[in-house]
Parts: sequence; C-alpha cells; structure tokens
Amino acid sequence: MNQETTEESNEESYILVWLTGIVFLVAMAAIFLYVPTEQTEGPVQRIMYIHIPSAWLSFFAFFIVFICSILFLWKKEREWDIYAYASAEIGVIFCSLVLITGPIWAKPIWGTWWVWDARLTSTLILWLIYVAYLMLRAQTDAGSMRARYAAVLGIVGFLNIPFIHFSVLWWRTFHPQPKVISSEGFGKGMETSMLITLGISLCAFTLLYFLLMGQRVRQEKLKDEIDSLKREQLYSS
Amino acid sequence: MDNFGFLFAANAFVWGGIIYYVYTLKQRSRELEKDLELLKETLSRESR
Repeated sequence: MNQETTEESNEESYILVWLTGIVFLVAMAAIFLYVPTEQTEGPVQRIMYIHIPSAWLSFFAFFIVFICSILFLWKKEREWDIYAYASAEIGVIFCSLVLITGPIWAKPIWGTWWVWDARLTSTLILWLIYVAYLMLRAQTDAGSMRARYAAVLGIVGFLNIPFIHFSVLWWRTFHPQPKVISSEGFGKGMETSMLITLGISLCAFTLLYFLLMGQRVRQEKLKDEIDSLKREQLYSS
Repeated sequence: MDNFGFLFAANAFVWGGIIYYVYTLKQRSRELEKDLELLKETLSRESR
C-alpha cells in the first residue's frame, strides 16, 4: 500500500466512524425518546430496535460470506477469502447478540427464556454453522485448501437463512410473524413512528458493519504482509 | 408492564458486546502494526 492510498482510506474510515456514531446517537434518541411505548408489551418491546437490526446485520454478513465464497471458488483470489472470513466473524458476533437479546425479550412476554420452535432452533443452527466455519479456519493450516473448505461451509450455511425467514410462515411458532416485510405489504403491520425508528436503527447497524469490515479486512491484509515478510526473511537468512 | 430490567440487560449486552469487539479489534491492529514495523526494521538491518 502506498502512503497516498493509506491516507485516503484513513480519511474515509474517519468519516465512516463519525457518520456511524451520529446515526447511532439519532437511533438511540428515537428508541428512548421519540417512539411511543407499545401498549401490550410495555418498555421491553424497545428491545426490538436492537434485536431486529442485529439479526439483519448477521444475515447481511452471512450473505456477504456466501457471495465472497462463491467468488473465491470461481476466481481463486485471496481477496475474496479475506472478505468472507472478515464478514463471517462479524456475522457470528451479531448472531450471538440476536440469540442473547431474543431470550431477554422472550422471558417477560412468553414467560420462558427459550422454546424449541422453528425460528429459534434454525437461528441457533445458523450460529453453530458459522462458529464451525471460524473453528475450521482457526484449526487448519493456512493455504488454499483451508480457504476452499471454508468457502464450501460458508455457502452451505447461508442456505439456512431463507429457511429461518419462512419458518414462521410454514409452522406455527412462538416467534411473531414478519411485520416489516409482510403479506400485507411493506411496513403495513407497524406504526409509522416504529417503522422510522427501526429504519434509523437498521441504518446505524449497517454502517457499523462496513466500519467493522474495513478494520477486519485491513487486519487480514496486514497479517498477509507479515507472513510474506517472514518468508522473505527466512529465504534471505 | 414495567420490564425495564430486561430492556437494560438487552442494551447492556448489545453495547457491551460491540464495545468489547471494537476494543479487541483495535488491540489486534496495534499488535499487527508493531509486528510489521519490527519485521521491516529487521529486514532492512539484515540487507545492509
């Protein structure tokens, strides 16, 4: 990387940090000050504004893993493997947050932390698949075979996501049916202020994804640079 | 229904999780940058 490119990317990430911070502040203000308290569930319903964006972020991250894994298998370029790995790690972090915030929301509403219904179980399976993806990458030696195995797992794991989405429609579950994208139309199952707040929160989490991706990808590239310098040192000595 | 405790717990997990992850990312980046600098120095010393 030359100095000019580094300076440019530093400036871009600086703008992204500020933008993400500001959108998060607006989202927090909307969640705690703007949106009215839901009548049946009370204040605990506000968990929705962090639970759904966390789920969105993890699904989006796994979608990027899926796309980048296909591109890696097709083009055999290390760049795509880096993007897939970085995105999988972020996806697992936010999928974990979904599996934590979900039961916290469920306890006062359903009276139980967890039920083995289709939506919850398939989300847990998704989390386990991508934890396995990260373990595979950590336990096997670096090289194209590791990247190939990981890419296959990254593609297979994503196939679970449509199943998670439709599970609440195909089976009778404890988990509520989709309200934002429902059969009645976009946002028809929700009040406008709730929809706006959720939209702002979704924007904030999406920006956070790009910020974290930038950092994670940069790290992987630094690791590659270190490895190549180590090899250079080994051959020169 | 007042369930502020649950609302607080969910927010604490999400924000705590995000802040901890960002912190570990920063730490990892700092360590990698240090390693890279050290390696570059060693290589330039060896080539002299």
